[in-house]
Amino acid sequence: MTTATRRRPPGAGIWGTSQSRFAYTLVLPVVLLLAGLVAYPFLYAIYVAFTDRVVGNDGQWIGLANFRYLAQSPAFSAAVWNTIVLVVASDALKLLIGLGLALLVNRRFRFQGLFRSLLMLPWAMPAFVAFLTWRVLYQPIGGGINLLLTDSGIYPEIVDWLGQRSTAMPAVIAASVWRGFPFWFVSILAALQTIPVELYEAARVDGASAWQRFWAVTFPSIRPVVIITAVLSSIWTANSFENVWLLTQGGPSDATIVFPVLAYFGMQTQRLGEAAAVSVAMLPVLAILVFTGTHMMQRGEDE
Amino acid sequence: MKRRALLGLIGTYAALIAAALLVLFPIYWMGITSLKLPREIYRTPSLWPHVFTMNNYRLLLEEKDFLDNIRNSVIVAGAVTAISLVVSSLAAYSMVRFRTRYRGLIGRLILFAYLTPTSLLFIPLSILMARLQLGNSLYGLVLVYLTFSLPLSTWLLQGYFRSVPRSLEEQGMIDGLTRLGALLRIVLPLSGPGLAAVAIFTFTGAWNELLLALVLITSESARTAPLGLNYLITSDVLPWGPLMAGAVLSSMPLMILYFVAQRFMVQGMTTGSVKG
Repeated sequence: MTTATRRRPPGAGIWGTSQSRFAYTLVLPVVLLLAGLVAYPFLYAIYVAFTDRVVGNDGQWIGLANFRYLAQSPAFSAAVWNTIVLVVASDALKLLIGLGLALLVNRRFRFQGLFRSLLMLPWAMPAFVAFLTWRVLYQPIGGGINLLLTDSGIYPEIVDWLGQRSTAMPAVIAASVWRGFPFWFVSILAALQTIPVELYEAARVDGASAWQRFWAVTFPSIRPVVIITAVLSSIWTANSFENVWLLTQGGPSDATIVFPVLAYFGMQTQRLGEAAAVSVAMLPVLAILVFTGTHMMQRGEDE
Repeated sequence: MKRRALLGLIGTYAALIAAALLVLFPIYWMGITSLKLPREIYRTPSLWPHVFTMNNYRLLLEEKDFLDNIRNSVIVAGAVTAISLVVSSLAAYSMVRFRTRYRGLIGRLILFAYLTPTSLLFIPLSILMARLQLGNSLYGLVLVYLTFSLPLSTWLLQGYFRSVPRSLEEQGMIDGLTRLGALLRIVLPLSGPGLAAVAIFTFTGAWNELLLALVLITSESARTAPLGLNYLITSDVLPWGPLMAGAVLSSMPLMILYFVAQRFMVQGMTTGSVKG
């Protein structure tokens, strides 16, 4: 990075400072808009989290009172736990399914292109459509999943998947995995396709088994992609609103409540300070992920 | 050995067909439910309806004013896409062609903005929009949607612009083009597929957004498509038929677009990390 900024482009002398003025003028609109619409609100959210602001009253600085209140709130503890479960479980499943399918599709066979397109369909579907559809699928009456299970005799009883505590979270995870695995699948597939075939042949000549070839050749080549996908996907999953909101609205009795939904409920009750504290409470973990992601994407760009 | 290869091939097909069925079943259910009569949804459910009806679509369009929602979505997503393309093209060009002192810092700001989730910003943004008197309007929605569309489009366009050879531009400038002329006449036309991909991504992003719309839009006439459908399920009766009709109507244009433009969208997705 430092060497790159020092290097001068050919002909830089001709334009001199007017050139850099021109360069700044071109980025200025984006910088101003992002400063006003992202950086300022970001800092403002942190400030509001330390006030007792409600709709119609700017409120006063109350220090950590909101956070102390949240620490004692059962809904907040539930949101912490549920968010962790949702992120870890669904991203682990997305990785396994995405990797498995990418390894299968990466082989040489007919209809390769067709399968790749089909498997990417959930990604092309708007998230709100996907989760509304899953809401219908899970219904006791009119839902396709119960119908399939009872008609085929796999499980004879009707299950209210979204209505009971024991199945609500797994149901949310399953729908999130359905919608989210294509991103992993395509990213890993693209990485797989850059691995030179010679590497595999060399490993085979050395007598490596399929399992050994995976760990010696495949895995090291896709590791960077897996790591950046994991970081991005964790950020998105931890902050996804549509899945929980459209499937369960956090219920039954907070069994699926997550940070964004809890913050939205706080807004609905007009207690902005408290609501902001909910989103700010996840900032420490989120900040680490965002900084890691930013760093990795920028490094990838410079290579 | 041959036998093993054959078994492996059969296994591959079996696993992929199973995965494809799992992917397709929800989409099938969405389509089929939208064409069912209420009694076949609620009373005698079946995998294949006995009677097909367009009634759900008629109900949604005539009684729920879903066309207004679609129109609002088109306006908002269209405006966001147009603004993003213009503003981001300028910024991305500057970032790629000029090595200014704060280039690294600005690049970080853009990525940081891209990764900052909406769930962190929706509360302050709603306060900000209320203060700007843009609370319950499509203008306000366009403005807040720039928070995710600008970083994404700038980030992606940088990648596309970088692949345009600098020598072509220099040649054009020797022939009398200005810098801006070089961008308009040489870089943009050569980045055509990239611009199309970025346009599709920003349009889709704005088309799909629910949380900010939910927070900002209060009047029925300004509802976007996801918002219209959201309010269908928060009422007391749950009208699955019309709901799935709305789901079909709001996803079909995008899925067709995706199939047509698949190749460069996949490319953009993997190089630029696009959530979709």
